[in-house]
Amino acid sequence: MSDSPYPQNQPLPQAQLQMQAQLQGQGQSQTTQELKYKRPPSDIPDQVYSDDGTIKAEWNYLLNSLNNLGPQALVDRQEKAKRILRDDGVTYNIYADSQSSGSQWELDLVPAIIGSEEWAKIESGLLERAELFNLMLRDLYGPRHLLKNKIIPPEALFSHGGFLRACEGIKIPGEHELILHSVDLVQRKDRSMCVLSDRTQSPSGAGYVLENRTVMSRVFPSLFRDSHVHRLASFFQRLRQKLISLSPSENKARVVVLTPGAHNETYFEHSYLSNYLGFPLVQSGDLVVRNGFVWMKSLEGLDRVDVILRRIDDVFCDPVELRSDSHLGIPGILDVIRSGRVVMANPLGSGVLENPIFLKYLPEIGKSLLGREPRLDSVKTYWCGDDEDLKFITANIKDLIIKPSYRGTNQKSIWGGDLTDSETVELITKIRSKPNQYVAQERIDKAHIPTLANGVLEPRPAILRTYAIASDSSYIVMPGGLTRVGLDVGRQSISMQTGCPSKDTWVTATEPERVHEDNQSEAGHAELEALLVSLPSRVVENLFWLGRYAERAEASLRILRTVFMLLNGEEAISNESKRILLRSITEVTGTHPGFLNATDEQLKNPEAELLLIIKDGNRAGSIKSTLDSLLYCADESKELLSSDTIRVINDIRDALDNLETSLAGGLSSAPEEALDPLVIPLIALSGLMQESMVRGVGWHFMDMGRRVERAIQIMRTITTLITPMAEKSDHETLLHAMLRSMEVLITYRRHSRNRAGLELGLELVMLDSSNPRSLIFQFEQLQNHFASLRKGNTNLRELVEEDRVLLEAITSLKLSRIIQLVETKDGSRKNLSTLLMQLNKLLSDFSNIVSDKYFDHRIDPQQLVTTFWGENEG
Amino acid sequence: MRYKVIHTTHYKYAARVTHCFNLANLIPRNTNRQKCINSKITVSPQPIHTNKRTDYFGNQCYHFEIQTAHKELSISSESQIEIQESSADLNLDLGMSYGDALNFFKQAPSNEVIKAKEFILDSPMIKTNEDIANYARPSFSASRPLNSCVAELTKRIFEDFTYTPGFTTIATPLSEVLEHKRGVCQDFAHLEIACLRAMGIPAKYVSGYMETLPPPGQKKLVGADATHAWIAYFSPEEGWIEFDPTNDLRPGSKHIVTAEGRDYYDVTPIKGVIFGGGKGPILEISVDVSRMP
Repeated sequence: MSDSPYPQNQPLPQAQLQMQAQLQGQGQSQTTQELKYKRPPSDIPDQVYSDDGTIKAEWNYLLNSLNNLGPQALVDRQEKAKRILRDDGVTYNIYADSQSSGSQWELDLVPAIIGSEEWAKIESGLLERAELFNLMLRDLYGPRHLLKNKIIPPEALFSHGGFLRACEGIKIPGEHELILHSVDLVQRKDRSMCVLSDRTQSPSGAGYVLENRTVMSRVFPSLFRDSHVHRLASFFQRLRQKLISLSPSENKARVVVLTPGAHNETYFEHSYLSNYLGFPLVQSGDLVVRNGFVWMKSLEGLDRVDVILRRIDDVFCDPVELRSDSHLGIPGILDVIRSGRVVMANPLGSGVLENPIFLKYLPEIGKSLLGREPRLDSVKTYWCGDDEDLKFITANIKDLIIKPSYRGTNQKSIWGGDLTDSETVELITKIRSKPNQYVAQERIDKAHIPTLANGVLEPRPAILRTYAIASDSSYIVMPGGLTRVGLDVGRQSISMQTGCPSKDTWVTATEPERVHEDNQSEAGHAELEALLVSLPSRVVENLFWLGRYAERAEASLRILRTVFMLLNGEEAISNESKRILLRSITEVTGTHPGFLNATDEQLKNPEAELLLIIKDGNRAGSIKSTLDSLLYCADESKELLSSDTIRVINDIRDALDNLETSLAGGLSSAPEEALDPLVIPLIALSGLMQESMVRGVGWHFMDMGRRVERAIQIMRTITTLITPMAEKSDHETLLHAMLRSMEVLITYRRHSRNRAGLELGLELVMLDSSNPRSLIFQFEQLQNHFASLRKGNTNLRELVEEDRVLLEAITSLKLSRIIQLVETKDGSRKNLSTLLMQLNKLLSDFSNIVSDKYFDHRIDPQQLVTTFWGENEG
Repeated sequence: MRYKVIHTTHYKYAARVTHCFNLANLIPRNTNRQKCINSKITVSPQPIHTNKRTDYFGNQCYHFEIQTAHKELSISSESQIEIQESSADLNLDLGMSYGDALNFFKQAPSNEVIKAKEFILDSPMIKTNEDIANYARPSFSASRPLNSCVAELTKRIFEDFTYTPGFTTIATPLSEVLEHKRGVCQDFAHLEIACLRAMGIPAKYVSGYMETLPPPGQKKLVGADATHAWIAYFSPEEGWIEFDPTNDLRPGSKHIVTAEGRDYYDVTPIKGVIFGGGKGPILEISVDVSRMP
């Protein structure tokens, strides 16, 4: 069944494994199952076995432990890891189209192991490389001795899209210009390590390393502990200290993490890292340049920003001086950086170091800048701009990887061996027309490591991304990194985009690691603490809308359930009641025209429309569209949500994905049940919002959103169900519908022995301050929120606008008389409808005031047009 | 010769601009034949923040940020420049041959040549291709003096192309200019640079002004002068030599340099980002070049 070129154990089919597990119980009695690592054939390099054919010590312990666990236990733990990753909301490429591989982060449970001794060699190579690249960066944007001394041909630098002339002369505090350096490494056949590429703009992956580690230590607590794995925490601690130390302000360091936004493939890691480091996560629209400084827009106004850890590539950062079509940048920021009033890490322009042409010259560059060739090899690289190299490349193109020298050009690497003869000719022509723009690299047979596949440990090619950060006078290397493995044995291309799994990387010591005492460094920065505690106003706005959408979805589901219950109830209801009930669904969900002018036929068979109201994502107001909006707001404010909340949000996402299946049976029988997978997480969400969120600015605005929305829904429900004057026989039905959808039916029944129906009902839903679902309760809560937000600032003499509006609404409600509200005239309850209209207007005024005053109203920037220039030009 | 140049740029927007960040290349730089004695930029409305610096190419950049809401923006640059009369004439029939020049660039014997090689490569607005090389090639032969090759290329562009204001915009690609044989000075400068680079000769874009003289007996009109653009190429023996393909001449004391770069992108007189402004701003430019006693 396997066509792989080497002998292997027949993998046990999944079903059979499960059956065995069931037969044997879930216990430890798995020892009959062997979980051995099958060494790949001799022509494929492998990291587990040493040259004498024995398993290396550092792997031995791991493989024995896994073997003792047995395959089924390992599969179980893989499932557990999957659940943790999903509950933590670990995603990659979440907005990719559904055709491409899933957005769930893939973690293989078998860690990549590197022994201490071997790691020491790698680490010193990485340290040296980071130092070298730092010196290169300084030279290339400064004296350019490397050109003058003919170490690098001028074309290698000048033709590269990453050499940004506008960035010349940027200086940042401290001994290093290059703050973060990251490389992709592989082990070659001769067991030496070799660098494939460098990442020097905003290296990604470090957040995923942390998450992988967290999962591994939870899934394998004892194995992890006993393996003496080097810890990662101090690396991130140093990163945090370094960022703080970069601040140009005296005794202050306001640091932010800049993300391109929730649509970026690695957004999960941006929010995860910003949380871990304790710095606010901002998007470019949250930052603004004013008076020669950079500021963050927060509810309180503008907060100065000192240091920006960016996750945006160089050329997109400033549309004034760099790519003018960028929407991710902050106009004017480059000039602030140049003047030293804000520091960006890595500095703009550092992408020039990603130029693979430099790999060809790296030994010479090392000699020139460090006085020696770098210890760590780079992949053998040929440059098409060099005549000799070009001859070699055209003659050997089938055995080379052809790469554009600048990554921004949207061109992919090409493996010459995959090309037909005519494609080869075409490629060579393309190269010859712009030879400076291409390099060719040898393909390295990557050493394989064990990976769990089909219930056994199979060899897979591995690539390791490592990270170094500047720290005091040197660099610190993360002990470990992000290992990624190929999808098959011998398979060369390894890319997260094609769903290749990742692994935790364990640098293991023979002795347990001593806890690092970092006093000296701590003391140096003790004065300089990170200060920025306010939230970008965009995040607050998203929380406000998160509250609104959550409440809107709940209200919509409640009215749907109520109507289903009545329509399918024991008692027959009149056509008039049915019309009003269905119309209330349209009104509450806002899915007009819907049932507003429904024909008799539609009234008889409302199911088609009801289904659309639930699942049609393209229809504004449908449950699906409301929940899609809710998920978007949750993504935008992710860093403020607790891990339980993120779990519940994921449940909602799953339920939405499965909506089609849940509704497959239609709505004819027990439709409430079909909606349960949505109702339950929504209830959990509102519980968590109340119980798991710190009462900070964010929570206040989120709850305000909920109150505003609930008030709107209460008014809509009363307006559609109660204001029209129905037949007397329908009164009871409609009143019950209202009370049920607002969850006060039980209270009503308890009180109704003494009082007449409608008066009591209206009092409960409008005027009862002790009912959390009454109208007055919402307005009073809004008032309370502002009182808390303004704490310590109570000397205001004149009422501010939002207070004015709320006071008017509450007063109107309090002064109303139930007797007058229930009065009917010309077939409707005029007084009730007038009061509701007035309240509705006040609520909408309130909403506008809040939005104008607290939320950011971004105007999109545009380029100053210069195309008219030609006219007056001689 | 001493000149006073007043260069005013005026934008009228359809809607209010609430905030803007601009970058002006309007202050004349010093070159080996000119010296900027003084220069002043006036912006209205008043910027809240300004910064002046020398950029990568040695040009004077002026950054300004305006926070006052406005519907009109005016930027006026006033400078006094001292220009030396051009020295001895370039003898086109002598000097290093084109073939020797190519070898010379390849060996890159000096730091000056290494730096000049930046100007052989493609740049943001100038990409060479086979059509451009084909147009240039007839003027270049290995044994002919390089200076003579370039002089002929300049003359051919002057003769083959028609000066047609309004036919092109700054966004018009070179291929179109080459096809229709029409354009304005910046198109001709871009084209000649592309030709030179296709032939392996470093060439750069020079922006500035040219003094125009009124027809005999008439008084010169204020503001009737114009911004201008021409080229400079690198000659192994003489260094950077300027040519003006729009007028088929070697710039002398009437050509005042503002800035130099790989192409228009590097020396754009005013660029930036505005918040608001609506669609289709109206732009008016006036330039006045006058001799000073």
